[in-house]
Amino acid sequence: MAKSKKPAAKSKIPAPKPRKPQPGTRQDSAAFLAIYRQMALIRAFEEAVRSLATSGLVPGLVHLCSGQEATNVGVISALEPRDIIASHHRGHGHCLARGAEPNLLLAEILGKAAGYGGGRSGSMHVIDLEHGNLGTNGIVGGGIPLACGAALTARARNSGAVSVCFFGDGALNQGLLHECMNMAAIWKLAVVFVCENNGYGEFTAIDDVTAGDSIPARGEVFGIPSKTIDGMDVLAVRKAALAAVTKARKGGGPSFLICNTWRYGGHHVGDKQDYKDDAEAKAWRAKDPLPRFAAWLAKHHGIGARKLSNIDQTVAAQVASAVDAARRAPEPDSSALDRHVYG
Amino acid sequence: MAEPRILTYREAVLEALFEEMRANADVVVIGEDVAAAGGVFKQTEGLFAEFGANRVIDTPISEPGAFGMAVGAAMSGLRPVFEVMFGDFMTLVMDQLVNQAAKVRYMSNGTAKVPLVLRTTMGLGANLGPQHSQSFHAWAAHVPGLKIAIPSTPADAKGLWKAAIRDDDPVLIFEDRLLYTMKGDIPAGDHVLPLGQARIVREGRDVTLIAIGRMVEFAQAAAKLLADEGIEVEIIDPRTLVPFDTKTVIDSVKRTHRALVIDGAPRAYGVTGEIAATIAEEAFDWLDAPVGRLAGSNTPVPFSRSLEKLARPDAKTIAQHVRAVLG
Amino acid sequence: MTTALPEDRLWHLFEMMLLMRRFEESVVKMNVENHFTGHYHLYIGQEATGAAAIAQLEARDTITATHRNHGHVIARGAEPGPALAEIMGRAGGLSLGRGGTIHLSDPALGFLSTSGVVGGSISLGAGGAFARKMKKDGSVHMACFGDSALEEGVAYEALNISSLWKLPIVLLCENNSADAWDKSRGGYTSLVHAANDLRSIPGAMGIPSIRIDGTEVDEVHAAVAEAIAHCRSGKGPMFIEAMTRRWAGSAPLWPELSTGVTDLKMATGEAPMSGEHKAWYEENDPVLKLARRLLKTSPQAKDRMWELDRKAIARMQAAEKFAIDSPMPAPQTALEHVFA
Repeated sequence: MAKSKKPAAKSKIPAPKPRKPQPGTRQDSAAFLAIYRQMALIRAFEEAVRSLATSGLVPGLVHLCSGQEATNVGVISALEPRDIIASHHRGHGHCLARGAEPNLLLAEILGKAAGYGGGRSGSMHVIDLEHGNLGTNGIVGGGIPLACGAALTARARNSGAVSVCFFGDGALNQGLLHECMNMAAIWKLAVVFVCENNGYGEFTAIDDVTAGDSIPARGEVFGIPSKTIDGMDVLAVRKAALAAVTKARKGGGPSFLICNTWRYGGHHVGDKQDYKDDAEAKAWRAKDPLPRFAAWLAKHHGIGARKLSNIDQTVAAQVASAVDAARRAPEPDSSALDRHVYG
Repeated sequence: MAEPRILTYREAVLEALFEEMRANADVVVIGEDVAAAGGVFKQTEGLFAEFGANRVIDTPISEPGAFGMAVGAAMSGLRPVFEVMFGDFMTLVMDQLVNQAAKVRYMSNGTAKVPLVLRTTMGLGANLGPQHSQSFHAWAAHVPGLKIAIPSTPADAKGLWKAAIRDDDPVLIFEDRLLYTMKGDIPAGDHVLPLGQARIVREGRDVTLIAIGRMVEFAQAAAKLLADEGIEVEIIDPRTLVPFDTKTVIDSVKRTHRALVIDGAPRAYGVTGEIAATIAEEAFDWLDAPVGRLAGSNTPVPFSRSLEKLARPDAKTIAQHVRAVLG
Repeated sequence: MTTALPEDRLWHLFEMMLLMRRFEESVVKMNVENHFTGHYHLYIGQEATGAAAIAQLEARDTITATHRNHGHVIARGAEPGPALAEIMGRAGGLSLGRGGTIHLSDPALGFLSTSGVVGGSISLGAGGAFARKMKKDGSVHMACFGDSALEEGVAYEALNISSLWKLPIVLLCENNSADAWDKSRGGYTSLVHAANDLRSIPGAMGIPSIRIDGTEVDEVHAAVAEAIAHCRSGKGPMFIEAMTRRWAGSAPLWPELSTGVTDLKMATGEAPMSGEHKAWYEENDPVLKLARRLLKTSPQAKDRMWELDRKAIARMQAAEKFAIDSPMPAPQTALEHVFA
């Protein structure tokens, strides 16, 4: 307990080792460019939300995933349209990677009528079933059983769909996670548990609240293959996710992926992050997934800076237009208050 | 038409489950000991043999996780029936129930739904002590987005169950364990009772009794005692707390000019207060006396038989309160 | 190899185990004779664990238990009369008849609570251990729970916190699921856990653990002694998995004394061990096992054993009388003790 009084507690995430690109992949450049584009879109989107929030235009609290794009896109790029995800409070990236419309997502974040929840749900409760997204979630660990439930549906209907639940390191100590891992293991559910370990649950370092010296052990207890991955490397994440998803789809049961990553903006917009160590933050910034992947694209696919900058500009324009549309969009009218409480 | 048959409450619920599970492959049963064991109260007996392990699913003792899975399964297309073995264990699923299931439709602007049934018990009287005897229907009814059904007869149980399984919202069904052996006529055919329709159990001119769950049985016994004294009570069973059939209750009170509301759970901030307030708001000018309330004691449910029987209304105390309302 | 306990210690434990066994037999008798109704859980078959573990606690230490708690309460030194009266819902009961069998406890003996909700003993126990730690007097808490408690998420949360805060908690998991009737035989669900070794669960939280045969008093004694020393020295929690066979009488929903009233002649060789439960008498009944061992110690052991049994039976006869004579709680007390 005394630990929590430590100033700038260190997270237990090891600094990621530089990953050697794997040449000779058969995937074409277009697929890799799509991955880059999605990461760029998420970054641009989150930075736009940050600027809106700083200007006081976002109601309530908003949690951004800048820095975590590689885990978002790496996992989701391994999925098919029939697959299902459940996200968490830091979930804009999951929504976008899964195919959500930036306009509608931003409208919801601003509480506008055009948003996914009609302006009634906000950033933490974006549900987009059309894109197989059971929603971002305001309860730490809340999406975990939802994704496992979707895997029950897949099993009952023999649909071959795989579920992915994303959660942060804070959820590692929720009993719910352990209950769901146990059931997923017993029933061999097609679920991939993805822990986006950014080192802090809210404002508390993972070491201060997580007993034992191994996070994978939390999954291995249930006989679930568990693996720690450099979550700043989109290709490493994608590779591990593809393996886990393929295994699940073949009836091989659940897997547990721990993606070590970093949230640039702290817990929510406005978090001064004085509990973090500056040097540690700097080291993580040096691993930024976007330039890192850009360098890989240049080296292995001969994709030049100009092409990527065109993508950057396109997504910037897309986000600017979403900001413009969302800001001008009307608030919900009063009749929306009691609509959709019951069917 | 076939003749009405007599079934126990438990059998009536099972019949509803068999019929709905045969009709719709999306209906699955999830809970502790529900599969081969057939339920702690034998309330799911036979389902496992017919529908197998993919549709009748035993869970570990992990209520929060297992119920959360039922919510996710409902969001993605199944119609789970989730059993919480004792009403007291509702406390374990409250997060998933209140923060997820109840709000998904609203938060998704109507694009997602949670068609599930949460089945649990209510009521004391079996000497099960403070952690196995509670009734949390009022607690649940306070949460927008949840529907609440409390069948008091075998026929109502079957009809409400079938409606609940077909409903597109989360429906909580509270069953008094001590009603499981009650026998009654079951209407022939596809007996489905719309949620939100009260039943006039007994007609009478002098006072309206609104009784919840097993209290209906006690109110009927009280009505017999009172009939000997020349007092004719009308008994209404709302059958569902959400949606609530205000009209049937108010129409009755306008005829009798007096009302007594009866519930077995603790009185403080409970169902009787809500219903009494509704009557006061909507039929004040017709009332000849303040609306009476009779409910369980504001105590944990004691284990000892001598104390337990004091913790909720019975025919005798109902009769006493009727006399008081009549002045 | 565990060192054998000294003879006088064994006799002491045997005396307690006999009382625990005779107590449970009285509970069944009182139920069959309709002195109380309602469901209950018996501790038969696990006496060696409870007796040898709890005997090592000091007065300043605290305990929480689970629904199968009668043995723990007796082992902690509660008077059989008030304990039985509580199970029968009487005014003379440990909790004045308010708690009943599932909530048997005796706070005066540091027996804080028994939870009727699976897993509750661990989380309440972590709280008990936290209080012990704050007292800084070297006292410890013992949480007794069954294997199924590890299916509940709250168990993980409490294990995590106990490890993190180095709480002085002895986590005594009584795994009685071996040979539990499975569902296909009309029994109730036994352990439903993907972990094939329950010790890996505390292990993942950095909590050391030991597995022992819960019917062997020496093993239980040694493991608990180690765990208590670990806790008292401030090293944090320790987990013990005590393995016992599920007693056949607890297989159906309503307990039955299917193995009969324990006949110590089965230990002396004067009565045959036969029938459906032969193997249980021979290998799994901790009371008979210890009796056989003690009988070998000296020619006088047999007389001493019968003397202890007469004493236990007499205590239970008095306890039954106390409980039956105890009145039901008075109606005017119905609203008492909701608040301070």
